[in-house]
Amino acid sequence: MPLRYLTPCLLALGALAVVGLGAEVEKSVTVAEAQRIAVIDRVRPAVVAVCFYGGEACGSGVLIDAEGYALTNFHVVQPTGSVLQCGLPDGLLYDAVVVGIDKVGDVALVKLLPRVPGKPFAFVPLADSDLVRSGDWSLAMGNPFGLSLDFTPTVTFGLVSGVNRYQPPEGKGTLEYTDCIQVDTSINPGNSGGPLFNLKGELIGINGRGSFEKRGRVNSGVGYAISINQIKNFLGHLYAGLDTDHATLGASVATETEDGDLSVMVVKQILDESDAARRGVKSGDQLVNFAGRALTSTNQYKNILGVFPKEWRLPLSYRRGNDTKEVLVRLMGNIDAQVEKPTADKPVPGRPAPKGDGGPKRPGLDKSPAKKFFVEKKGFANYYFNKLRQDKLKTAVAKTGDFTPLAGPWAIDGTIELSDRRGDFKLTLVDGADGLTEAKIVRNGIEDLVKPLKSNAPLGELQLPQGSGGLLSALYLYRKLLTQWDGGFEIGFDHGGHEPLYPPQLAAKPDGKPAERLKDSRVDCEVIRGKHGPFEAKFYYALSDQTLLGCEVTVSKDEEPCELYFGDYKPVDGRSLPHRIEVRSGDKRYAVLTVKTYTLGKKAS
Amino acid sequence: MNRLLLTAFALALGALSLAASDPFSKTADDVNTRTVKLFGSGGFRGVANYGTGVIVSPDGHILTLASQMLDTSELIVHLYDGRRLKATVVATEPELDVALLKVKIEGKKPDEPTGLDLPFFDVPAAAKRPLSTPGDWVLAHANEFEIAMRDEPVSVQRGVIASYSKLSGRKGIFDFGFTGNVYVVDAITNNPGAGGGALTDRQGRLLGLVGRELRNSLTETWINYAVPIGASVEFRDGDKVTAVSIPEFVASAMAGKYKTRPRTVATAGPGGYHGIVFVPNVLERTPPYVEECEPNSPAAKAGLRPNDLVSFVDGEPVVSIKAFTDVLRKARPGATVRLEVRRGDVLQAVEIKLEDAPKPAVAPKK
Repeated sequence: MPLRYLTPCLLALGALAVVGLGAEVEKSVTVAEAQRIAVIDRVRPAVVAVCFYGGEACGSGVLIDAEGYALTNFHVVQPTGSVLQCGLPDGLLYDAVVVGIDKVGDVALVKLLPRVPGKPFAFVPLADSDLVRSGDWSLAMGNPFGLSLDFTPTVTFGLVSGVNRYQPPEGKGTLEYTDCIQVDTSINPGNSGGPLFNLKGELIGINGRGSFEKRGRVNSGVGYAISINQIKNFLGHLYAGLDTDHATLGASVATETEDGDLSVMVVKQILDESDAARRGVKSGDQLVNFAGRALTSTNQYKNILGVFPKEWRLPLSYRRGNDTKEVLVRLMGNIDAQVEKPTADKPVPGRPAPKGDGGPKRPGLDKSPAKKFFVEKKGFANYYFNKLRQDKLKTAVAKTGDFTPLAGPWAIDGTIELSDRRGDFKLTLVDGADGLTEAKIVRNGIEDLVKPLKSNAPLGELQLPQGSGGLLSALYLYRKLLTQWDGGFEIGFDHGGHEPLYPPQLAAKPDGKPAERLKDSRVDCEVIRGKHGPFEAKFYYALSDQTLLGCEVTVSKDEEPCELYFGDYKPVDGRSLPHRIEVRSGDKRYAVLTVKTYTLGKKAS
Repeated sequence: MNRLLLTAFALALGALSLAASDPFSKTADDVNTRTVKLFGSGGFRGVANYGTGVIVSPDGHILTLASQMLDTSELIVHLYDGRRLKATVVATEPELDVALLKVKIEGKKPDEPTGLDLPFFDVPAAAKRPLSTPGDWVLAHANEFEIAMRDEPVSVQRGVIASYSKLSGRKGIFDFGFTGNVYVVDAITNNPGAGGGALTDRQGRLLGLVGRELRNSLTETWINYAVPIGASVEFRDGDKVTAVSIPEFVASAMAGKYKTRPRTVATAGPGGYHGIVFVPNVLERTPPYVEECEPNSPAAKAGLRPNDLVSFVDGEPVVSIKAFTDVLRKARPGATVRLEVRRGDVLQAVEIKLEDAPKPAVAPKK
């Protein structure tokens, strides 16, 4: 460790000596040079040469953690297939496997296997790329033209020419560069997927594209890197082995008038089924701010939208007349159901044309030890890593108590606060003799009863109590999750990566309305997605401590889901349970349940 | 003790290094406010319908290249803050390869003040500063590849002045009208739409206008250059030779006094008359052998003889009749060109003073 710190100083001293002799070069120049060299030395071990299985160079990448996870471009691993190899500057080839992909954003996460089990990899820290300004210095590293046979990366140095750049998709809606960083740093074929660093050696982006025209497909002074802040939004998805998608608002937006002054962004058309429409946005409304950023041009709108995965909920401010309103909007998916099949022969920017068709037919590929880290499943880049994340979360959640024996009748008592009155409630979840669970709530003398799996149950029944969006169905699924985990969701159960949640109680005003600035209540969560019967559910676990903060249950895609927000966790018989449950649907709070007692029965054998 | 010393050194070095490794973000931001994105005609066959300009008066005068992009009645300007305005061409000077535009405000006459108070480059002051020299760092600020719209900032690139020299004798894929000295830059600055952008020093002071996309016809490589802001050229205006510089052009055009002349035939026309008749041009690269000289022509007066092989024109090798014609096209009547011709086994230098073509015009030999 001390050596690591000493090296830059020694280099700097060496530089000083040179100055002393020459006395012509300004001191600050040689010092800056020495510091640059020190930074390059520090980050070099983490720079990856992405190769076909067998070692033929294909692109570049960079390690971002000690376990061997590395970022690269989707278009780099598209021709290699899921099992590949990566070279590191130690001159060795490592077996590697594709973990997660983002086709639209042109990002892929791969995992290198250590050659000595458990040995940590060198990696680089991620910067806050929102702080990058045009005119800043940058360093690009990688393996342009497949030059390096011993995997020592090439370094190029230049300026950031622009930030928040938008470059339209190259494929059918894929390889769209939004909010990206433009550099005059040389980016050539083979640099794709490699790191762009600031002068502190922090990763600010992944190089992947350039503007080419008459000069041919080599550096023309205009290269682009995907900002690391965009990648951070997708990183949870990528680690979870997902084939991720970007998002749309479900509305077409344009500048109000072509002529005249500053542009005003106005909704031209909006899909009825979009969440934005449900939140009250209409055509003609002016969009003011989205995800905390001002909307000033169509490029900017695409930039802001482009950095988020589908289904994320983000704050949107819009103006109608003199009123400005902030709402939380769920983003819709971007890619149509039938996405183009990745093709190996299609020319994509920034990489040498692959010789041969990549992956499957490479000799020896079947013997790769990386093969056992790949599980194919529809909708996933690599299901092995999804299961891995599920299991990690399951282990973390197990600390809150083992609920598996408590699959018997549940009874929850407490007080309920509705919009117009308050009183006691009693909630029961009981498995009936017919095999169907019966969920019942009694409050203020009114009783609602649901058998969620009863065949031909009308939609209105599943959504009881009226106005809650389906509180009883949601609690039924909550009980299934706690007691059965994946076993309770026979249609589908997986890790959904990361999503933000906005628990209203965190910044709620006395009248129960959500926080004025939604971003203040944002908590980033790991998501578990489950499908059971007619229901789709998402469960949100705080990234920080894996507390279950909420869930969202969709009874029908045409209807608003029921949202539960769990708070005030207290131990009950050695298990941690929420004693405050806020129930919301649409823009409204239905009720707040304050729990006095949980009576969770064991399953009768 | 040792460690302490090293730490002290490291601290001192840290402080020192600020100057050399300083980013140019402030300079980029500042220059961006004085730069505009232009949208005009074009958009086909590799000809960009967008470009860049620099603001040269608070009232909204814009200096840019005299490109085909300006040949439109719908010239659009995007200011740094996102304002979208119309503009008109006030004057053009093809010899300097520059044009002056002015923002048009709805309801105001062209000579009325626009009421704008824009950040601008002071051209006379910029032209008075000493020339940059090879080795100096420069920054190019331009909207290459139409990356930026509205309030998005133009791109900034860093380079070094490689040389200060003439580019005459080289042919681009577009007309290259400027015959004065230019800054040749080592960075790839002259991309589509970059023409008319600002070349500045590290402090953001204006050095010149980023030039056109230009290809060296001999090496097929692309060259990146900028027209110096103090550039001055001489040209024939009727019978007399006139000189004009960019600051003079800007001042005169702003005062509404500059008379835009139609673009002379200088770059595309037959050029000055020399009177050489070459051997029949039957091959792709027929060597420029002289067959005869027209009587009393400049070539005849200079003593050129049949069977002379023209090898160099003003120091540039010419390998074919076509290459010779291309070079001569840019030389105007009154100019003197220096030829080196092979006669027998020796190279001979011959100077030819070009004349106006005799009437009736003799068609140049192809």
